[in-house]
Amino acid sequence: MKLAWLYHDIMDLYGDKGNILTLQARAKAHQIDLQVDTIGIGQKVDLCDYELIFLGGGADREQWALLPDLLSRKDNIQKAMDQGSLFLLICGGYQLFGQYYLTADGTKLEGLGLKNYYTTHSSQRCVGNCIVEANLDGHSFLLVGFENHGGQTKGVQTPLGKVLTGHGNAHYAGFEGYYDGQVLGTYLHGPLLPKNPALADFLLSKASGQPLQNVPLPPFVTEARQALLDRYQIKEKTK
Amino acid sequence: MLIHRGGSLPGSLALRFHPTILKDLTICQPVILVTGTNGKTSTANLIADLFMQAGKKVISNRKGDNMLAGMTTSILAKTHLNGQLEGDVIVLEVDELNMRHIVKQLPVSTIVVTNFFRDQLDRAKEMEQLIQSIEKSLNDYEGNLILNGQDPNVWRLAKSCQKAKVFSFGVSLQGQGFKSEAAEGKFCPVCGHALAYDFYQYSHIGQFHCTHCDFKTPVNIDAFVQKVDGQNFVIDSQTLHMPFHGLYSVYNCAALYAVSQLYDLTKQVQTTLDQAKSPAGRNQHFDLQGREVVLNLMKNPTGANEVIKVIEQDTRKKTLFLLLNDREQDGTDVSWIYDAQFERLNHANISSIYCTGLRAGDMALRMWYGGYEGPIQLVNQLSDALNQSDGLTYIITTYTAILPTAAWLERMAS
Repeated sequence: MKLAWLYHDIMDLYGDKGNILTLQARAKAHQIDLQVDTIGIGQKVDLCDYELIFLGGGADREQWALLPDLLSRKDNIQKAMDQGSLFLLICGGYQLFGQYYLTADGTKLEGLGLKNYYTTHSSQRCVGNCIVEANLDGHSFLLVGFENHGGQTKGVQTPLGKVLTGHGNAHYAGFEGYYDGQVLGTYLHGPLLPKNPALADFLLSKASGQPLQNVPLPPFVTEARQALLDRYQIKEKTK
Repeated sequence: MLIHRGGSLPGSLALRFHPTILKDLTICQPVILVTGTNGKTSTANLIADLFMQAGKKVISNRKGDNMLAGMTTSILAKTHLNGQLEGDVIVLEVDELNMRHIVKQLPVSTIVVTNFFRDQLDRAKEMEQLIQSIEKSLNDYEGNLILNGQDPNVWRLAKSCQKAKVFSFGVSLQGQGFKSEAAEGKFCPVCGHALAYDFYQYSHIGQFHCTHCDFKTPVNIDAFVQKVDGQNFVIDSQTLHMPFHGLYSVYNCAALYAVSQLYDLTKQVQTTLDQAKSPAGRNQHFDLQGREVVLNLMKNPTGANEVIKVIEQDTRKKTLFLLLNDREQDGTDVSWIYDAQFERLNHANISSIYCTGLRAGDMALRMWYGGYEGPIQLVNQLSDALNQSDGLTYIITTYTAILPTAAWLERMAS
């Protein structure tokens, strides 16, 4: 199985490496042979070769610097989507797949336009721990993370999940992220996957098209999650 | 005297009743501010020491209380009831986010900027916004600006602060240089095109130039360390000795030297360094009845990477204690631990790791995902880890635990 890590050297602001480490660790636990390819600006590649495509978050300057390169890949991304590649997008990556980003000075920065949602700037950032109850293709997840975004994403018809603590897509939005069975966009850092290895398993299973056996979770996951869940008096759900 | 106590409470009260209290004081002394992400406590302390070595009375916020309230407390403690200050010079370490407030309230003569790294993003916003807020507050600043000429995030202030008198400091290439370790410094802050580096010193610090415009490391750096040999370094054709380790300390010394040039105190630099003490938790050594314990602070990926290098270089067998908190001053977002290169510790002769703190689970998980194969244990507190292990021990803690841990180790050592 192949994973494309887009702009690994630019969109790497919030410990996104942890997401890749988790996918690698879980692939190993499930005996899936996972190849991770990093893809930088200007690098020629056919994204259709990848079952899973990851794009993380960056600072504003970095994010806009890579935009021309990303836009030049639009047709290829659409094609990969048509062929069934699964996309995991975090923060900036999530925003870039939408229609546009309206900046503080009113400039409309064009996104890939592959999804209907759009993002507007707010000087009041949404910052803090964020816990989300999600249901993906009938599987329920309690996602534990941290959000830190000025962008307010609106027009999401199919959110990733319900916010139990935190903001979500916009100030007090109540709902977080985007999921349509093929693209998962979210503002959750922490990073997302290390404390939510069940989600990593779900992504690996879906991308590889294979059901996965139950294998033990990494050590310390329970304690790491519990530290936050206890703080907000949220109970861990058993599947 | 108005106030005798330290901390930030007296300042908080004063600010509540009189928000512009600093502005109304009669300050005719030079005011020197030190800001930046890393090294500001060390550098500000050295600068304060420099003036003391020259026989001056210095007003400073030595305990690292660098928010507006803490600084106000430090200054009011040395203020007479008639509004006159008792001291010859004011040296303040200033939190980056507080710069814009403090420059409005004090007649600042010199600003030293050490570096700008990714630090506590939840609090400090993103780098770009932070630097822009500082640039904006310095628009009309006409004093001295002492800048790290090898940090593009800092050197851009030379362009944006047109009225300031700019001085630079820097260090010649040491060793082979490193590959970039951090995300900063990829694009020119002036025109947005790619930045190219002739060499990296560490992280994004090094000799850079823009591939498009004329933005680059200054050709002639004012306070330039020509050579570093262990704890000795050559500047201005003289060899000086510092009591610190690590390249980042050499940069602090270069900044100190730049200040000494400006205030004609270069003769006092060596004596300043001779008596200098590292602030708490900067490679601080303790002897616990024969057991060697080394305490270090981690507050962001770059700082943590420098600590990791120090541990890597000590090839002896050792135990590692990691304390991760997520209070406001630690940074409430712990994502950054995945940006720091903890993998480098997998082969640093560490026999076991103990994790504690409010986010101990996250820390342990980080080490596990990073591939550390020795035993990792969660403990309730550092004393448990100390009781369960022996021999050489490195402790790394986040900000809110550093002073209590240093105090605890001092008690244990005595």
